[in-house]
Amino acid sequence: MAGDHISQEQADEFAIGSLEPALERAVALHLADCSACRDIVRDSERLAATFALTSPHRKPPSQLKQRVFLATGIRRPSPLRRAFGYGKAVAGVAAVFVAVAAFTGMVWMRSEMTDLRNDDERLQRKIDEALSQEVEIAALTRKLEDQEKEAARLAEAATGDQGLIVALLSNETRIADVVPAEEDSSSIGRLIWDGEQKRVWFVASDLPQRPAGETYQIWVNSGGKYYSLGTFAADADGFARYQTVVPEGITTYDTAIVTIERVGGSPTREGPTVFLVYDLSRLTD
Amino acid sequence: MHAIAARDEHAFAVLYDRYIDLVYSASFRVLADAGLAEDTSQDVFVRLWRRPETFIAERGRFLSWLMSVTRNRAVDELRARGRRRKREGGPLGEPDEAAEPLFSTDPIDPQGSAELHEDQLAVRNALSALPGEQRMALELAYFGGLTQQEIAARLHEPLGTVKTRIRLGMQKLRRSLDTRG
Repeated sequence: MAGDHISQEQADEFAIGSLEPALERAVALHLADCSACRDIVRDSERLAATFALTSPHRKPPSQLKQRVFLATGIRRPSPLRRAFGYGKAVAGVAAVFVAVAAFTGMVWMRSEMTDLRNDDERLQRKIDEALSQEVEIAALTRKLEDQEKEAARLAEAATGDQGLIVALLSNETRIADVVPAEEDSSSIGRLIWDGEQKRVWFVASDLPQRPAGETYQIWVNSGGKYYSLGTFAADADGFARYQTVVPEGITTYDTAIVTIERVGGSPTREGPTVFLVYDLSRLTD
Repeated sequence: MHAIAARDEHAFAVLYDRYIDLVYSASFRVLADAGLAEDTSQDVFVRLWRRPETFIAERGRFLSWLMSVTRNRAVDELRARGRRRKREGGPLGEPDEAAEPLFSTDPIDPQGSAELHEDQLAVRNALSALPGEQRMALELAYFGGLTQQEIAARLHEPLGTVKTRIRLGMQKLRRSLDTRG
């Protein structure tokens, strides 16, 4: 040492460890008490430490880390490694769970698909049943409607019959005989005119059914003018029953005829006359 | 280091991962023995964990301190092995024949930080600028753990020559690295 302190050369030699052991111990003793020399030596040590950076790169064995951590008392390598380790464990367990879940899922899916198929079949059967029931209901509904119509018709007929009976019992009612225009016809009929109820009935038998496009139309003559009472048809038995109301503007009639007109009727009489009315009351008179 | 002083295991793990290659490489460079290099590296990090207060940030960079600790621990082991060989009748303090050259041309550890790469490159460049005999003297002292007299004996050079080579080599390195900042 130069005097009481360490030279730069000695500091460098101390830093790279080239001093003889006796001198090295003497320097160390001095450094313990001399902060100025410590700064010099530290500077040299920093420079010497850079040598280590030039060492050829060597990869330590992987188990060294475990050794170091065990030696330090750190049981677990590190949170990161722990996390990694746990991550691997968790990943492994997760993989098993995923595999089991996938298998279970497949079984479940297969079971679900079977159930769905069964449900679908059951649903389809119910739909078919519902459709069948709907058809039955529709048929019943139509049948009911027909029955209702028939009931309405019968009710109307009953009402008409009731009205007709009332008309026949009334002194204000005129009953006229309807006779065929041709002598060889066996058809007979009556025209009932109820001025009080303002209703008119026409009934006939042995009427031939008109061909397609033709119909019977009944007219009344009042004051020299014919008023249409409407059209009617005979049924398969040759029976005809027609009911209507007294036309507005007239209270009585002079005569009545039945003509053959086109379907739907004519506004004025055009066809041939097949029946004519003899007012029985008048004849009586 | 503050975190390690606070017994932060995570910080220790990060420090280990960052510097273990350097510590192990330097240890191996000195000892030329994988098992001893492992033991030395373990000792360095255990000491770091148990006595983090031995590093004082105001006195210098952590990397320099760590490399000094590593080198000193490795040289202690090397000298202890020499003493054992001496007792057992083996070669006296001869550097390991398998010792590698000081100036490595190996690729720099790709896992190191950018700052570390910069340091390594700077030192390599500075050392490569030294005359071969100066590099050799520094190598035998720093990595071989030899004293000046041992180096002189090894190189068959006068002690004064070895001292001069070491002194000049250190001066040139200091200038090269100082100018780097």
